[in-house]
Amino acid sequence: MTKGLITTTVGSFPKPEYLQKARNQFSAGKLDASELDELEKQATREVIALQEEVGLDILVDGEMARGDMVVYFAEHLQGMEIGGLVRSYGNRYYHKPVVKSEIRWQKPITLDLYKYAQSLTDKPVKGMLTGPYTMVEWSFLEGYDDMRTAVLEMAKAVHMEAVELDRAGAQFIQIDEPALSTRLGDLELALEAMAIVTDGIKAKTGTHMCYGDFPSVYPRFLDMAVTQFDMEMANSGYELAQLFKEQGFPKDKEIAWGVLDVHSHVIETQDQVVAGIKRGLEILPPERLFIDPDCGLKTRTWDESADKLRVMMAGVRQVRKELGIE
Amino acid sequence: MIATVVGSYPKIPNRPRPARLRNAIARFDRGDLTLDDLKAIEDEVTIEVLQEQAEAGLDLVTDGQIRWEDEQNYIARSLSGVSINGLIRWFDTNTYYRQPVIEGAVAWREPITVRDYQFAAEHSAKTVKAVLTGPYTLARLSVDEHYKSTEKLAMAFAEALNQEAKALQQAGATFIQFNEPAAVQHKEDFPDFRHVSDRLLDGVTAETAVYFYFGDVDGIYPQVLDLPFDLIGLDFVMGAANEALLHRTPFTKKLGLGIMDARNTRLESADQLVERIRTLGKGIAPDHLHVSPSAGLEFLPREVAQAKLKRLADAVRQAEGVLV
Repeated sequence: MTKGLITTTVGSFPKPEYLQKARNQFSAGKLDASELDELEKQATREVIALQEEVGLDILVDGEMARGDMVVYFAEHLQGMEIGGLVRSYGNRYYHKPVVKSEIRWQKPITLDLYKYAQSLTDKPVKGMLTGPYTMVEWSFLEGYDDMRTAVLEMAKAVHMEAVELDRAGAQFIQIDEPALSTRLGDLELALEAMAIVTDGIKAKTGTHMCYGDFPSVYPRFLDMAVTQFDMEMANSGYELAQLFKEQGFPKDKEIAWGVLDVHSHVIETQDQVVAGIKRGLEILPPERLFIDPDCGLKTRTWDESADKLRVMMAGVRQVRKELGIE
Repeated sequence: MIATVVGSYPKIPNRPRPARLRNAIARFDRGDLTLDDLKAIEDEVTIEVLQEQAEAGLDLVTDGQIRWEDEQNYIARSLSGVSINGLIRWFDTNTYYRQPVIEGAVAWREPITVRDYQFAAEHSAKTVKAVLTGPYTLARLSVDEHYKSTEKLAMAFAEALNQEAKALQQAGATFIQFNEPAAVQHKEDFPDFRHVSDRLLDGVTAETAVYFYFGDVDGIYPQVLDLPFDLIGLDFVMGAANEALLHRTPFTKKLGLGIMDARNTRLESADQLVERIRTLGKGIAPDHLHVSPSAGLEFLPREVAQAKLKRLADAVRQAEGVLV
């Protein structure tokens, strides 16, 4: 692997149309589980192939089996149920999960598809988990009287899954907490929960958080028990860069620096990407600065995702060349 | 005592009931349904939602904002000077709205919700209140490329909404409510909020309300009592601090008691709710109390929302028996 500016993505990729269709047929009872499984694997192969072709360093399985990052885990955890339809935005609805009773991990959830994706490539594939705070906050809560107990129980369950990925040889496990960025008053609870999740894990760990008022909780949020913070930078005009530059960033931690605005159809220019990377290099040396999109790519089209990632790679190669670390 | 809602109502029921509105919008988007046909279905769903609220036992209902894609754009996109950007998270929820972008002077062009109000009023067994998103929240949740000032933008929205409110009252609306969740996230702007509210209600003679939710009014209480609205709605679920404030300084306006959790499916007991009404409504005339969920109901599955409203109305009737 390269000596610096390691490239990756945040986790999700857009689902090919045939898979969208198959998922709808499956939920309508017109397709059986093994047929859906086959199509998920086909899509996973395509996602891996795309990442290899683009030249990314750390790959993902693209989350082809996940409709929603919370629902997918809720479907497999004891104590959780899939609730009624709730609108997410526009004409999009999803079955919001409910924490009904004691949360228990029963068997591996993401392991099979992780192993399958890893079998397709020589590059490392990241294990991708949804963090305990987000799992509970983005579900209805009926089975516990207080959120704290539920989040800490959920942390034990997510830890079990992390252990499975670790044992299977995952070099990198990412535990996402997107719900935290707009609820930073709960930071202490999220920190406590993450420490449970990553306890004893040998793989490098990271977390993705969305844009939020991080200056208000600096530097405390950097105490989260992970090595890498994956931050949405491009979309906020690199607002956090100033904070890290002025206040510093811990020497034992890394940033995955988002240089592609995933909320926009517009493809960034190579110059924009290069400028974004250079903002990051003002804070961290290239070996601790990973480069990726701001967020999961699932809301973009396949072509937009591919084009954005190609521009990102071109920008990375240009900067690597300038730094002499090709 | 009035049992009511804060605004939105879930648009589609769960199986086996058909998701008519969702299906209709999907067909419209594919070009398989005309705009008139879509509007007819929106009307039918509005009637259903009015009936469900009446059946639950509410006294004051809304049209459920069935036609609203979100709480920002249904209003903002009908005004001059506004375009619509990408999706962004709505407060600390896991729901998203398209962010309005202010590209020029904001101005009211024509009635936005008047026909909706009239239709609901004609088809409702209960009194219908008109609900709008308030000017400050519209301003805060937009990208301002024109005014470069939240206060100026909010004032422009206030002028536009003032015209909308006057059009609503001309159409017969006797109660007009403004939802202002952003105001309790940015309390430092309260002096501006007050000026904006004065402009908003200038010449409005209908009864008016402002609802603050997803937070408390600690720091701007009792100042909020000087606002020009007749009723102030507070969230006692996410704004737990509101309770202590009320004990410290008596509430001098009509009070919206947001006591039922609009963001969780766990069903409160009638006893719990009656107790909340008694404690929080102490010292306030019963006819000055509007009891409601803590926020709009769109975060809940339809059947849960309905069950919660029924429980709420039952509790209000019981509380009336106790207080009178």
